This record gives sequence, structure tokens and C-alpha cells, in this order.
Amino acid sequence: MKQTPANKKALTNMVPGIITAEGFLGDDHRALTEIIAEDQSHFKRENLDWEEVAEKLQYFMDQGRKGLGEPITVDENWIVRTDEARGHLACPWEDGVFRKINAILKNKKNSLTLFYTELTVHLLKEHQFLEGKGSTFRLEPHLIKEVLYG
Amino acid sequence: MDLSFLEAPLIIAGITGVFAGVIAILDSIVNNYGTVTLSINGGKKELSVEGGTNLLNTLSSEGIYLPSACGGRGSCGACKCQITSDVGPHLPTETPYLTKEEMKDNIRLSCQIKVKTDLNLQIPDSLFNVKQIKSKVVTIKDVTHDIKEVVFDLQGETIDFVAGMYMQIVVPGYGKIKGSTQRAYSISSNPSDNGMCELLIRLVPGGIATTYVHEHLQQGQEMELIGPFGDFERTMDDTIMVCVAGGSGMAPFKSILFDMLEKGETGREVWYFFGARTLKDFFYMDQMKELEKQWSNFHFIGALSEPQPEDDWDGETGLITDVLDKYLKEKMGDKKKQGFLCGSPGMINACNNVMTDNGITLDQIFYDKFA
Repeated sequence: MKQTPANKKALTNMVPGIITAEGFLGDDHRALTEIIAEDQSHFKRENLDWEEVAEKLQYFMDQGRKGLGEPITVDENWIVRTDEARGHLACPWEDGVFRKINAILKNKKNSLTLFYTELTVHLLKEHQFLEGKGSTFRLEPHLIKEVLYG
Repeated sequence: MDLSFLEAPLIIAGITGVFAGVIAILDSIVNNYGTVTLSINGGKKELSVEGGTNLLNTLSSEGIYLPSACGGRGSCGACKCQITSDVGPHLPTETPYLTKEEMKDNIRLSCQIKVKTDLNLQIPDSLFNVKQIKSKVVTIKDVTHDIKEVVFDLQGETIDFVAGMYMQIVVPGYGKIKGSTQRAYSISSNPSDNGMCELLIRLVPGGIATTYVHEHLQQGQEMELIGPFGDFERTMDDTIMVCVAGGSGMAPFKSILFDMLEKGETGREVWYFFGARTLKDFFYMDQMKELEKQWSNFHFIGALSEPQPEDDWDGETGLITDVLDKYLKEKMGDKKKQGFLCGSPGMINACNNVMTDNGITLDQIFYDKFA
């Protein structure tokens, strides 16, 4: 995949200390295009749809916010807790600014959890970027499948 | 020996060196703003400082600390101040955090303003009282599975604060986090204990500061604290106080309630609604029950939104907003009330709706929106 100017700019915004203290790449030294391409194939293998996953994550976050900071059961099978911190975070691709809202989504059947933010949902939906391996907010495709559909 | 192979690299190195020197000289000329004067609050304080760095850091190097939750990264919007002299138009990095009214009033994010010329600025007078203190951690106690009560000894320093205010902790770099990070937490201790400071810190998975406190901070360790900040405090009249919190939102109310008890303000009627999901998320129940015994006008209403069978809970159940609504409608009478809230923006908005639906006007609702 070709390294576009937009991706080059995004990459400079992803290093620690620019948008977040930890950055978006974790310990991943692969090229950004490679990270995205590999996750695209993982998504395909897991039979996941980017739009649908983003919608579900957003839905659970919205439902979780009704717990007012405390964990809340959603649709019987999931427990969601949201935390909100002061301020906003910009997307590394500079196409949006997002509230600092974290959601912890736990599937009660298999006890697996996903941890994501409002920005994570945007990155997944608009850029098919799940963050680099080792990043705190990295979403693994197999985990997405197990938590959302397990 | 023939050293001609070194000729080209040496020439290139020489030219590069000359360019680097020129750039360094130009940089020192172009970016040398010399000494500039910061006039604060109409000349109440005048500072002569070296220009060239951002206003937030310039002020802190002079011992004046504006609140900041992101350490100057421009992502929290907390370090606002009013600049009445010309510093140019608002930057795109500032506008997401400012209302139209604030922009009209020349409110700026101090971390985004580079100090280049003399500036006139306005900050709350209370910020002159803010100190940076090297404290020592005395105790770290688990009050729930994800909230720690941390007590800091101020090592001879004192802080003068009003119950309800908050402190910022300075978390040093650790692991992949290179620089230091600042985060704000409401003070849960009593203002009369001004040689120490107690904070309640809830673990936010992935959170830089809370992870540090929960996984790395040790008893006996030194930690920088900056504060006190904030304007969340009780009013001084006899209106009924209706307080609502959940989780670590307990902190300012613990401070306020025990301050009121100590100062003999027990004639005032106070209702404190505290919400948690299950019993394992609930804490300080004994302290609140004890407070009820000593203060007949104090009513503590704990509610669990999803009590578990093993909790054996016979108290209120449901979301704290629903419980609040029920009490406002059925149990608290028609006397004038004021709302006091501590929580996330979502929780504040939900409580605002319940309170206004029950006749408490927005100007009578005070909150510490900890997000």
C-alpha cells in the first residue's frame, strides 16, 4: 500500500507526546500502511464488517454512559463502564476532535473485555486503523469478534 | 598516504557546519524576545520574564500555577486566562475549548500562547494561593476494588483550601511515558488538616495517572502536588443542600460534610445521594452512617443500580438519578433547595435534568464536573 501524504502526516501525529503521551503505535515498528493492511485482512478472516463493528462499539458506549460513571448491564450479556476525562483528542489524520470518553465493554458469557475510546471508534470506522501492537488502546480483531459476537 | 578520499566528506561537513552555525545565529536573533513584562490583574503582580516559551510554563516558572490536566499539550482546555493586550487571533488549537463568549472576552489557552511581548492578563486571585509542594505518600488504602485513598504529608508546607477544591498530582514519566503528566483530583480531607492532603483516585484502565497511582506509587515515595484549585464549594445559607455523587465523586463531599460538622453547621439540612453498581463499589458507608448519628439534619441515601444476590442489599436500588427524582418528589418537601454535584459531564447533565424538573433552577445547581 502506498504511503500517502495524509498517512505520513498521521504518522507524525501518532508518536508519543504529540496527541497523547503514549502515542498510537505501541511497540509496533511496521509501516502504518502495513499495520492497516494486516488488520484489514484479519477483519476479513474474522468476517467482521468495519461499519457494523463501529456502530456496535458506539452503541455500547452510548448505553454505558447511562450508568453515569458506574458499570451498567446492557442487553443482558454485556457490562459497560464509561469514564470521561477533561478535554478532547484530535484524530491523527486531523479530520475530527473527540471527547475523552473511555469505555470498558465486558462480555458476561466469556468474561473478555474491550477497552476503547470515542477516538478509537472513529479510527476504526474512518481509517480502518486499530492502533499498533502494544498500544493501550489497540483493538485485536479476534477479541472484537469474541466480545461483540461471543 | 593519499587522503584525497576524505576531501569530499570534509567539504560537505564544513558546509553543513557553516549552515548549522548560521541557523543557530538566526534562531537566536529571530526567537530572542528578550525580557518582557507580564502584568497580572491590573498590575497587582508584575513579572519580568524571558520571552520565548508558552505562557503556562512561563507563569509556573514564576510560581503562578494555572490549572492544567494535560501538562500543556493543548488537549484539556483547563489553563484558560484572559489576556487584555493584543496577542493575535485565537489559534485553531484553542477554539475547540472556547465558547463564543469566552472568545469575545479574549479568553485564551495559556499553553498555546507564546510569550513574545509585554502582556496584560487576568486570572482569579485565588491562583496566587496555589503552591507546588513536594509531598510524601503516607498511606495508600483500597477503599474499593478500583478506588484508592491516598494520603500525602505536605512535609512542613500547608495548603489553605475551601472544602470542595482540588489538587493536581504530577506523575513522573514511567514505562513508555516519557514526560511528566498532571491530573486533578478533589481533596477529600478536612481543610483544618492543612498539613496533609487526602485524595480518592479511581483506576481508569489505560489512564496514565491512575495507572501510576494504582500500580507504581509506593508508601514513603515523594510526589509533587500543585494546588489548591477550583471554585466548587458550599453556599453559606440555610437552603437545603442536595448533594449527588458516585465513585470517587465522594471526595469533595467527604471534605465538605466533615468540615460542616467540625464548624457546627449542623442546623442545615443536607441530603447526600451516593450511587454505585454493587456493594463492592460502595465505600465509606460506616463514616456516612456515623455522620447521620451525629447530625440529625444529615440524610445519607446510598443506592445500588445492580445489587447482586450476595450483597443482601435492603437500601435504595436503581440509577442514582431515579432515586434522586423519587426523593425530590416524595420525601423532601417544598422548601428551597440547592444542588451540589460531582461527577462526569454525563452524570452532571442527567442530575441537572432531574433537579430542574423538580423545581431547582440551574443557577442554584453547583458542580464539580471532574471531566
